[in-house]
Amino acid sequence: MNTRRKFLQQSALVSLSPWIPAILPHSLQAAESKKDDRILVVVQLDGGNDGLNTVIPFADENYAKYRRELGVPKQDVLKLTDDIGLHPAMKPAAELFQDGRLTIVQGVGYPNPDRSHFRSMAIWQHARLAEREHDSIGWLGRAADTIHSTDAAAPDSIYVGEDAIPVALRGRRANAVSIFREDDLKLANPFATQHFGADADDLSAYVTRTLTRSFNVARQFHDADTVANSESLQYPNSKLASQLRLATRMIKLNGGTRVYYVSQSGYDTHAVQSNTHRQLLREFSGALQVFLNDLRDSQLEERVVVLAFSEFGRRVQENGSAGTDHGAAGPVFLAGSAVQGGLIGEHPSLTDLDAGDLKMSIDFRQIYATLLDEWLSIPSINVLDDSFDRLQLIKS
Amino acid sequence: MNKADTLSVWTAYVPSADAPWNLRRVVHLHRRVVFGACWSEIQQDLAEGPESAVSRIMNGTVRAEGVPEGFEQLAGVIGAAAVDSGSVERLKAWWLYRCLFSPHPLEERLTLMWHNHFATSNLKVNDLRLMKQQNDTLRKHALSPFGVMLRDIVHDPALLEWLDATSNRVGKPNENLARELMELFTLGIGNYSEDDVKEAAKALTGWTVRQNEFRNLESLHDEGEKTILSRTGNFDGDDLIDILIDEPAVARRLAWRLTNEFFGTGVVDDSALSELAEGLRTHNLDIHWGTQMILRSQLFFSNTNINSRVCDPVTFLIAPLRAIECWRKPPGTLILAEWIERMGQDLFSPPNVGGWAGGKNWLSTRTVVARANYASALAEGRLANPIQPLDLQKVFERHVGADRHQQIRALDQILFGGSTEEAILNIDGAVEKSSDINSALRQATTLLLTQTKAQLH
Repeated sequence: MNTRRKFLQQSALVSLSPWIPAILPHSLQAAESKKDDRILVVVQLDGGNDGLNTVIPFADENYAKYRRELGVPKQDVLKLTDDIGLHPAMKPAAELFQDGRLTIVQGVGYPNPDRSHFRSMAIWQHARLAEREHDSIGWLGRAADTIHSTDAAAPDSIYVGEDAIPVALRGRRANAVSIFREDDLKLANPFATQHFGADADDLSAYVTRTLTRSFNVARQFHDADTVANSESLQYPNSKLASQLRLATRMIKLNGGTRVYYVSQSGYDTHAVQSNTHRQLLREFSGALQVFLNDLRDSQLEERVVVLAFSEFGRRVQENGSAGTDHGAAGPVFLAGSAVQGGLIGEHPSLTDLDAGDLKMSIDFRQIYATLLDEWLSIPSINVLDDSFDRLQLIKS
Repeated sequence: MNKADTLSVWTAYVPSADAPWNLRRVVHLHRRVVFGACWSEIQQDLAEGPESAVSRIMNGTVRAEGVPEGFEQLAGVIGAAAVDSGSVERLKAWWLYRCLFSPHPLEERLTLMWHNHFATSNLKVNDLRLMKQQNDTLRKHALSPFGVMLRDIVHDPALLEWLDATSNRVGKPNENLARELMELFTLGIGNYSEDDVKEAAKALTGWTVRQNEFRNLESLHDEGEKTILSRTGNFDGDDLIDILIDEPAVARRLAWRLTNEFFGTGVVDDSALSELAEGLRTHNLDIHWGTQMILRSQLFFSNTNINSRVCDPVTFLIAPLRAIECWRKPPGTLILAEWIERMGQDLFSPPNVGGWAGGKNWLSTRTVVARANYASALAEGRLANPIQPLDLQKVFERHVGADRHQQIRALDQILFGGSTEEAILNIDGAVEKSSDINSALRQATTLLLTQTKAQLH
């Protein structure tokens, strides 16, 4: 103990050298002014969700025809309208829908759909269609770049998960951090970090910025540890639920971060998908409901909108191994008390297909544009390089 | 040698005023390719020059110290026990044991590369025997001609399970294996059509796994004509591999894979990549040939290539252990397996079929904190259970004498190839004045490993 304290003092003594102790920067106040801003939480459904078995056109006879093995029987569908319903495992989502806290946008995609996971995910995360424009700077990173202030203590975005920070969050200056478990951010030592050259663009400067930022966030999180976890609800036992639980915890810390990002993997259901898909949808909708209810109990729900998407839907015709192969358009979800609620757009036709896949009628960038302009108040034209027709997603 | 050859970036490196054979380059070679080195290995390379340094790496005699007697036999016992235990942690520990102690670390480096290329996760396969068998295959062919590797790995039960080949049958095609075989393993996106994927899936019907063995079941095979990449016939899986391996795009993908492993972003330009691909094509796609070409090249030793990559977790984990000659008090490999997961490279569980994205992706808040905490754990002897305080003084005294400042400098030299005197003074100044040399060296180790340059290689 003694040694540690002395070590800290020693580090402070050499602060004129390139070693600067990573004490929380002076600018915590800078974050205070932003702390009541609105927040976007992105849930990425990884692997290509079978949209047709998620938002089900149960009244269309072609549905049962294409989905002989995998089709959900009409009587089991959770009916939202006379012809559209949710998979039976999505009761919590159906409840949100009835409450007006869930919007389902149907037939979302982009022109010339790509059926590669990586390419399609890159398109969604960059919000750019052409591969040559995939520069690892994502749409939320670009959005954050337009409002980023270098002395903000709070990160622009937080990825809760164990993989690399998604491209969607990466910007040139934007400050994205990641955490997976709460003790991921416990530092064993009060590390000093180098601070020079941090504005340069080379790799070494990038690494220095990442180190500085990470150690600062760790310290901030640790200092705020006294804000006890005040959730009133029991979160379900799933990885997605614990990620959202950690996100709630950080939203309650009110540090000023405006974007959170989580992902749920496993949607690449090529074979024997029934049970897997049911389980995924149950976890997704259960976690979503508890997350929003927890925020509601803390009077935070009106500040939070959730966007859930997958890189593509799956082929209309099930394959021969009781699974589905990569497809195209699919549904996108928006949730929270600030959303308009209801269905947006028509369910894609099951007769007018594109190489066996559903055709898109709504470009995903319309959703992004609406969220940027109307929710995050960041002009979408600066982020998406083009203007897109907005949708009725957010309550006015 | 004609003029074009002499101008090529793949020409053999010859030390020059601009690119001298010095500590910086020796450490660059070891950190980039074989998880770092210890003092005596670096001194030997410095004295003998680049040609023999690279030869020792290629032929598996690079580790002068710290290779246990009867390594292969020991590793075999540890691996078999890991499989029997049913614990994937123990299988990770086995692989890290190999990375740390194998006499042929290049083989392990490339096995890691192939694990990333043919990324297969135990989360789905859920069978350690099959995962280890795949790992052994990747190692066996780490330096083989790529066609030989490809044929074996596409018959590999773990890979077939992972990519749903087991449910791909006549009349009920499943495209998963066919698509990734083209997109990720051989051709790369843009070099095949959607129809090629569908037809290739038909060719692969019949290939399945029974009782954990590869089986080709004719009753499941689609006997129809298939047209794949403009060739038509009643193809099966082996024909498909023949067709794929003939495609020029494969050489380019292999060249990309190798350069992606050994160079920083942007160091290899398009014409250099094409040239290497052409060389690979005329050398039977031989991975050994390609690797040797790269490691001997002037581009590999060019200033732009040094410290131009984010250091991968395995190197970050192993290199300091080699530097402090950890074999005197070996760390617990199960503890190392926990750390590699925290640093974001959970062996045998890559995040998806594309493997780990690498590069800047290695550094997230969580993994940066893990790297810093690993440095503390290493310095404080917490990689062993019970805790084993390191006697770094004993190690470094033998190399550079009793002076503390010289010892810190030596530590910095082995880890990173040396820094300015000012940087060494900063480290020396940041450790407690009153502490004994051992404690000072431990603090210096932690500080050195939390610096920016420790995250690069």
